[in-house]
Amino acid sequence: MNTNNETRKTRDALHDEFLKVWGNPRGWHALTIVNHTTVGIRFMVTGGIFFLIGGLLAMLMRTQLALPEQDIIEPKLYDQLFTMHGTVMMFLFAVPVLEGLAMYLIPKMIGARDLVFPRLSAFGYWCYLFGSLILMSSLVLGIAPAGGWFMYTPLTNNVYSPGPNVDFWLLGVTFIEISAVSAGIELTVSILRTRTSGMALLHMPLFCWYILVMALMIVFGFPPLILGSILLELERAVGMPFFDVARGGDPILWQHLFWLFGHPEVYIIFLPAAGIVSTLLPVFSRQPIVGYRWIVLAIISTGFISFGLWVHHMFTVGIPQLAQAFFSMASMLVAIPTGIQLFAWLATLWTGRPVYHVPMLWLVGFLFIFMIGGLTGVMLALVPFNWQVHDTHFVVAHLHYVMVGGMLFPLLAGLYYWLPHFSGRMPSDKLARWGFWLTFVGFNTTFLVMHLTGFLGMPRRVYTYQAGMGWELPNSVSSVGGFIMAMGIAMVLLDIVLHFRFGRPAGSNPWGADTLEWATDTPPQPYNFISLPDCPMRHPMWDQPDLQTTIAEGHHGLSEIDHGRRETWGSDPVSGAIREIIHLPGNSWLPFYSALALSVLCISLLTRTYSMALIAVVASLLLLLSWSWKNCVYLEADSAVKPGYPPLHSRTFNGPGLWGMVVTLLADGALFLAILFGWLYLRVVAPNWQAPDTAPLAWLPLLISGVLLTVATFWHHFIVRRLRAGRDDHLQGQLWGIAVIGLAHCCVFIWAWSASSLVATQTAHDAVIAVILMYQLFHSGLAVIMTALQAKRVAYGYVGKTAPYEIAVVKPWWIYTNAVFWLSFLAVIMLPIAWRSA
Amino acid sequence: MHIDPLEKKWAYAAVGIAGLFVGIILIDALFHGINAPSHVETIDSASLHLSEEFDEDNLGVQVDESGNITIRMVAGRYGFYPKHITVPADTSLTFRWVSMDVLHGVHMPMTNMSTMIVPGYVAQVTTTLPKPGEYPLLCNEYCGIGHDHMWSNVSVVAKEHWAAPGKAPSKGGKDND
Repeated sequence: MNTNNETRKTRDALHDEFLKVWGNPRGWHALTIVNHTTVGIRFMVTGGIFFLIGGLLAMLMRTQLALPEQDIIEPKLYDQLFTMHGTVMMFLFAVPVLEGLAMYLIPKMIGARDLVFPRLSAFGYWCYLFGSLILMSSLVLGIAPAGGWFMYTPLTNNVYSPGPNVDFWLLGVTFIEISAVSAGIELTVSILRTRTSGMALLHMPLFCWYILVMALMIVFGFPPLILGSILLELERAVGMPFFDVARGGDPILWQHLFWLFGHPEVYIIFLPAAGIVSTLLPVFSRQPIVGYRWIVLAIISTGFISFGLWVHHMFTVGIPQLAQAFFSMASMLVAIPTGIQLFAWLATLWTGRPVYHVPMLWLVGFLFIFMIGGLTGVMLALVPFNWQVHDTHFVVAHLHYVMVGGMLFPLLAGLYYWLPHFSGRMPSDKLARWGFWLTFVGFNTTFLVMHLTGFLGMPRRVYTYQAGMGWELPNSVSSVGGFIMAMGIAMVLLDIVLHFRFGRPAGSNPWGADTLEWATDTPPQPYNFISLPDCPMRHPMWDQPDLQTTIAEGHHGLSEIDHGRRETWGSDPVSGAIREIIHLPGNSWLPFYSALALSVLCISLLTRTYSMALIAVVASLLLLLSWSWKNCVYLEADSAVKPGYPPLHSRTFNGPGLWGMVVTLLADGALFLAILFGWLYLRVVAPNWQAPDTAPLAWLPLLISGVLLTVATFWHHFIVRRLRAGRDDHLQGQLWGIAVIGLAHCCVFIWAWSASSLVATQTAHDAVIAVILMYQLFHSGLAVIMTALQAKRVAYGYVGKTAPYEIAVVKPWWIYTNAVFWLSFLAVIMLPIAWRSA
Repeated sequence: MHIDPLEKKWAYAAVGIAGLFVGIILIDALFHGINAPSHVETIDSASLHLSEEFDEDNLGVQVDESGNITIRMVAGRYGFYPKHITVPADTSLTFRWVSMDVLHGVHMPMTNMSTMIVPGYVAQVTTTLPKPGEYPLLCNEYCGIGHDHMWSNVSVVAKEHWAAPGKAPSKGGKDND
């Protein structure tokens, strides 16, 4: 807000000052970088490599299927190929690449300098990289998972799939999901709390809306799969029978948990891609998007409806007719919001003056292919039709039309569009057009014909087929098409590689775009913006032609960097009014080391060396503790804040950390609800469910333990209230007191558990109860550790009435732990008592 | 964040109604045992040969006293048993399937005969096959290394050319309509 010309530093001097704080180290220390631009690009490049690997697996399969009765690839390898193709494309390519793109773009689009938890994003990246390497190593060793990417049990239990193959999938994918969930949390909080001054929700670029909904869907959608994977791994490794019919489990529970994640996953991938479309179309049509509010409503309703569709993957399981009708209807309903978006896009094209640059080519390809995929989707939503083509190549064709059309084509459009932003250079028009047309023709040749193969009855996941079924010609055509498509992708790749060397410099805002990310340098500096502009408008770059210059010269907010900390605005989630200055942490080895410790844990669980696993758990815990310790409040900062500025986030009760905690607890709650769902499902459906006559645990010790927990929670609540009133006397002693009561609660709890007659490997009932108890103990234990840590930090002044931030962050964890306890108590103790008397 | 008081009241009312409905469903399911019908018929997959109905010589096509045709088949890695059956066209057929190991799916291309076969349960499908001809029965639920070879054959013959197999009246097989 310094507009005085005499005192303003020059552009270069400002740049040098910012670079001192924001600069990225080189060499080995590049591993410490937490900046969102670097992390985003790392996600995208790594994901791109996995896309090529996944494509290679597909090419091998198409070679094998080109002619009938070939045996180029033996069935054992073929099964690994299709399992890994699906897994790689879904978990290692689609989600991470889109998250990477979002991480790269979101802060720039909302006028922030970085994501709100930069170290978390770096940690997510390392988890993704290490987890992927562990998963891919199985393919190299020839022991890759071979149960299909959906891992249906009982095929995947230890009776029918002995050996580590399935464990690689369960543990590797769960490890990778840490990165998905942490990105989901981070993107949600960043979009809601770090928009630049005046950017109200309805001023956000549409891309941010799409990413916000995607991030929330990740938060709710991934936990059921994480739970499912943990349960199946526990069944395999320890013998807890969640899915074993003979011991009171049910294999269908796995399918419910898997598709409860699996269907939202499709929209988690589609929404960001649609966000790319909604960003690019207006730019190339030279016209604001038609129906902004309608699109926002469509995005939100897609997010909701997509959680009510999962059973349409299971129409042949033998689901009750009422449920089939419900899910069939919901599957058709979801076409409505998608239809709204399609009409908005077409109307934007219609009313604008479109220019057909390369990104636009991919967009038109998208519209064509995705439309067909959507139409076959409506066909599949009809139950009787679904029965005829279930698990045939028709479904393979449909899902590739939706995924390649709905995700890869927009992604490549986006890649070409933002390429000048990444590198500062333009791609070659000629190569790019070749790449597009080869991919487009190749894709349709492969998959349009495949609908026919499916009608003729060819099932999925077969390594070969007999001649004389009429399947030979369509399969050969599909294989040829596949190779044409591969050539197209190779052309795109070549173009991208060459453009770094031969591309002409892009200059600023080469496409004449309207959104803030083009106000940075191209390629961008790590700090994005020298000063953070007011942005109460949807098209800042169209409305303020000199915005880039005024930002770089420091005419806007927060252009001082006096006390050497990375800073960005914290703002109101709805109006975008400034609320605080957020201090962001800088580069660190901690994310790298923590992810490394977790990957040691993953490997030792894979090899079943449990002593090693224990060491890895302790190491991870110590690293995370030291992470929390060093993430400290900047005590000297108060004197450096100029009058008229908002407070630092660490001096508030309602900072971004609290929001991060609440969103984390939403994910955590989704996991807990999935456990309770599993328990109720098995009780209602499983044919051999055996519940004991008495409650599984003695109620009195459990009640005592619960009362202790409640006392600790209320005490914690009480000291937060005292802090709000500005009193922090005896704070340290009180925090120690809370920790001790929490510890007592844990001890009584463990004692009650050990005195019970639960045998987790005997019946599914006992196994589920054991999981609920473990979940409770994990939360109680963490609450105690966090509170003890804070008690220690009081002595250093990191926690107190001037810095109440951390205690406010921990409070929801106590409340949540308490809620989980009483809900579990109700379910595990009270319900069985009520049943007995009923 | 400001929320209009009236909007707040409506939100409470909506949450309350949703809670009431969920509560009713839960109480019905947990205390009164009222559930949507789902997989009501169960079977011990580990000892099919001991069950009356899916005993080896009770498999295949059977006609009961009132002329209803029931086909009992077992799916197991990697085949459907019996390997070949002959059924009449244009007639209502009731297929009853069980699995002896993992999940299987069964599909007759170009017909409505498609179901997943879940171990522990009996899968029942009633359908009519209009066109005579030779049909394959394919496993469409991936079941392991020999999944590709898991199939058998169905001959659908015109109604007037079909003769009921001469067999003892079928055992077991409750009708769960």
